[in-house]
Amino acid sequence: MDQKKRILLAGAILIVILGVVLGVDFLQRQQAAAQAPTDMPPGSIPIYVDGGFVASFIPDDLSQLPTASFVDAEEGKTQDGWLLRDVLLLYLGEDNLQDGSQVTVSSSSREKSKTLTWAEVENKENMVMFDLSGRGTLKLVSTIPGFDIRDSWVQDVDKIEITSP
Amino acid sequence: MKQRYFSTFQLILLALFSALVIVAKIALRTPLQMSGHSGIFWMAIIIVGARVVPKLGASSIIGVTSGLLASFLGLGDFGALNTFLSYAVVGLGSDLVLWILRGNTDNLVVAIIVGIFGHVGKFLVKWLFGIITGAPIGFVALGLLRAFLSYVIFGALGGLLGWLTLKALQRAGFFAYMAEKR
Repeated sequence: MDQKKRILLAGAILIVILGVVLGVDFLQRQQAAAQAPTDMPPGSIPIYVDGGFVASFIPDDLSQLPTASFVDAEEGKTQDGWLLRDVLLLYLGEDNLQDGSQVTVSSSSREKSKTLTWAEVENKENMVMFDLSGRGTLKLVSTIPGFDIRDSWVQDVDKIEITSP
Repeated sequence: MKQRYFSTFQLILLALFSALVIVAKIALRTPLQMSGHSGIFWMAIIIVGARVVPKLGASSIIGVTSGLLASFLGLGDFGALNTFLSYAVVGLGSDLVLWILRGNTDNLVVAIIVGIFGHVGKFLVKWLFGIITGAPIGFVALGLLRAFLSYVIFGALGGLLGWLTLKALQRAGFFAYMAEKR
């Protein structure tokens, strides 16, 4: 086999790999769509208030919100996305949120969660926000002391729960 | 006495390239907010390493050694095993393509393809770990396609940067100097 054919073979292998990745992703989306409530598109993040499902959000919904960003002190990377307060206000309105309300953002795959008060989330200076990760999942980040390092952030967010005081 | 596949000198060189991969990961930053952008640097180092020690397995040694170093240094967000495999696969993938192409990274096309495959190997490790751990599907539809293309592009750029570095080393007489040392 000459070099040209080998290069073509390498290109073909790359296309097959891409096909497998997208095929598996498509199947996962189909599976997620079948299991989720009818009003919850695959990939969307559900919001629960006091245990009850209220809404879920998708990227198109967030496009109407202002974006926010900050440079993290640990690695100097820009965290860029949407403030959690804006997301919650969009879906729940201020009536469902009080200063003492507990907001828990969790990731079942990472087995991580973070609970903050609405007062902390609402304060724009705390930069409690979602950053979009490279592979398209959401990561909860902030500049709150103690919750401003990568280890404490919640990657692959898949649930938001609000508990009233 | 049976001659060893890698000489001690070559192993030392490969260990230095492994350390360089880690240094590049920690110290070199780009303002790009795209996944896999650091591949520009570490694929370039792998490409150069594969030419400086032109033996099958050289890239794998760089990958595995840098993976061990990265794991012990606590790099990465997904734990030590993920970090180790991500780095190791970069080397193994590069070697696999070098073997398929029967070429060396002196050739620009080969260097770019090696850069792409090595870097896509890292993407595949992260993707597979996501599936195994039950990570949620992408919030953004086709986010995975964007990430894949990003890894391909930065891997190719790493291959190009590595090839340019090799040309500069050749012009500076580095390989003639190395031949004398051997």
